[in-house]
Amino acid sequence: MSIVPGMGMVRGMGFTLKRFFAPKATVRWPEQPADVAPKFRGRLQLLYDEYGTLKCETCFQCAQACPIECIDMGGIDTKGRFHVHWGPPETYGERREESALRRSGRTVPDAAFARFDPIDTTALDEILDRHDYDPRALLTILEETQAEYGYLPVGALKHISRITGTWYAMIYGTATYYRHLRLEPPVIEAESAGEAHLAIESAYRSALDASLGYGAEASAR
Amino acid sequence: MTAFLTTPRDWPAVLTGRVAALRKDPGDLDAATRAGAFEGLRIAIRDLGPTGTIATIAASGLRGRGGAGFPTGDKWRAAASQPAGQRYVVANGYGADPGVRTDAVLLAADPWLVLEGLAIAAFATGATEAILAVRADDQALVTRLEGAALAAEEAGFLGDNVLNSGQRVTVTIRPVQGAFMLGEETVLLKALEGKRGQPEQKPPYPTEKGLFGRPTVVNNVQTLAAVPWIVRQGSAAYAAIGAEDSPGTVLVQLRGPAGGGIAEVPLGTPLRKLVDLAGGKGKQTVKAVLVGGPTGGLLPPDQLDTPYTYGPLREAGAHMGSGSVVVADERACIVDLARLLTRFSADEACGKTIPCRIGLRRLYEIGDRIATGRPKPTDAVLLGDLAHDVAASGLCDHERLATLAFTSGMRYFRSEIDDHILRSSCPAGVCQPIAVAAGAAH
Repeated sequence: MSIVPGMGMVRGMGFTLKRFFAPKATVRWPEQPADVAPKFRGRLQLLYDEYGTLKCETCFQCAQACPIECIDMGGIDTKGRFHVHWGPPETYGERREESALRRSGRTVPDAAFARFDPIDTTALDEILDRHDYDPRALLTILEETQAEYGYLPVGALKHISRITGTWYAMIYGTATYYRHLRLEPPVIEAESAGEAHLAIESAYRSALDASLGYGAEASAR
Repeated sequence: MTAFLTTPRDWPAVLTGRVAALRKDPGDLDAATRAGAFEGLRIAIRDLGPTGTIATIAASGLRGRGGAGFPTGDKWRAAASQPAGQRYVVANGYGADPGVRTDAVLLAADPWLVLEGLAIAAFATGATEAILAVRADDQALVTRLEGAALAAEEAGFLGDNVLNSGQRVTVTIRPVQGAFMLGEETVLLKALEGKRGQPEQKPPYPTEKGLFGRPTVVNNVQTLAAVPWIVRQGSAAYAAIGAEDSPGTVLVQLRGPAGGGIAEVPLGTPLRKLVDLAGGKGKQTVKAVLVGGPTGGLLPPDQLDTPYTYGPLREAGAHMGSGSVVVADERACIVDLARLLTRFSADEACGKTIPCRIGLRRLYEIGDRIATGRPKPTDAVLLGDLAHDVAASGLCDHERLATLAFTSGMRYFRSEIDDHILRSSCPAGVCQPIAVAAGAAH
């Protein structure tokens, strides 16, 4: 803090005035090399294309050229045959990217794919056999599958689609429409299948009673 | 089991006539045949023949009890005249309205009536496959119906050779569940086909392309339950009951502040009598009558002389629908009630068409705005326009009728809605439209 008000402004403008008359400082790069540390090779960066996936082709040229061997990478060779890898295990976040993981031949932890848990299809095959593999009995097949497995695993829907030849989209459409069908295990063990719709119906009844002001008399009945 | 309400002695009991005889054990086929079960089927096969049966039903003036009120005789004739190797008859006993149990109660009290009606319908239309769709959550009812179908088959009333006529009628009990929309006929057919339950454009009607693309008659269980009586007593006797253009009786689920229950009433009975049957108005005065379940309309006390039948109810702004009549007294607020009904209809929309999926949701939101005190000055106009557009562009009756709660509310209770919008007060004291006052304060 200066004692005289406005002194800072005068100093700043003085510096500007001094630079105004000083000779220009221009470095003619690349003819005249810039003053950088001898080991510096530029900043390492993986680039993304316009679709948001990594542009890296896993050619290892950067890893081979790296003088301090700080680059490690893994992937599939250009013919898609062998898993190739360079350097210590991947530790950086961008290498856990979906595209990087897929290229390195690892499983991609995607919620939509994670449900494809393999299931024991013996019981499902019996159900399908009982209904003659007839997609017209799809609703019954789905209900019985749910009774068997507790819910409708995506693997089971895929299996039904493959065996009966029905489009997966149609099976999925049916399975998601009816409230008593569920695609995840029930939260409460004892919850019965039709509970979801009955809960909605009883909620409507009590809401209607409340709206009519029946309250006490209605609950007594 | 819910008992039937005692109705005046001169009201005919077409649907519930045998309930007293079967009170001890509804599954007793011998008792049922002693009381006249399957007599109509015998007459239809022996005396009338398929075309004669259809002519009898058409002459009786029986109309569909599912709500739309399509003449049953015409429907059967349309299905029978379609050239097809396979026809189906489907009895819709789903009873989608959460507050109504008429279909289930009828099936439980007298399972033979609907089975006989199904057999006659199948015989008349030449269908060999008859399907009775019921709610799956009532396991006891499903078991009872399956037992009844089996017993009737063993006794020769159903099965490969119905009453030695050479006609085959196989009745299958199909429990369905999981969606409100299953009450709509094309949705029910989709469910029976194992598809996603979304309605289809009509025409082609199910009588041309129904279940698995074959001609299908879809009748409510109450329609089919009236058929044996008509065949037995003749079409003239049935046409004499109830209203002139829509004769017969219908089961009504009554609900009022003082009680309620299920009653069989002749069509054309004034609403006032139904309100009295529901236990009267109780301590307070009747403010509105909700006719038709969640998609029904709200009628004011001065409309209580409206006859309970298809045409006049639609003109008044309600519909028969599920056969539900709910009496609301002074404690109920019209905006709150209409908001609740529209919300239920919007939640249960299948999502196939945009007016239903989005329009009903917006209707509910406008109602919610009015009820919670954040109305816009244009909301009354917007409500009317939107309801009109949704009803005009609807695919199935669900979306057309789901607007009735608000349209009838606007028609009869405009002053109460205006109180909410303009004066931010709820006459019934149900809603708390005080946010406008609070908004002015800060």
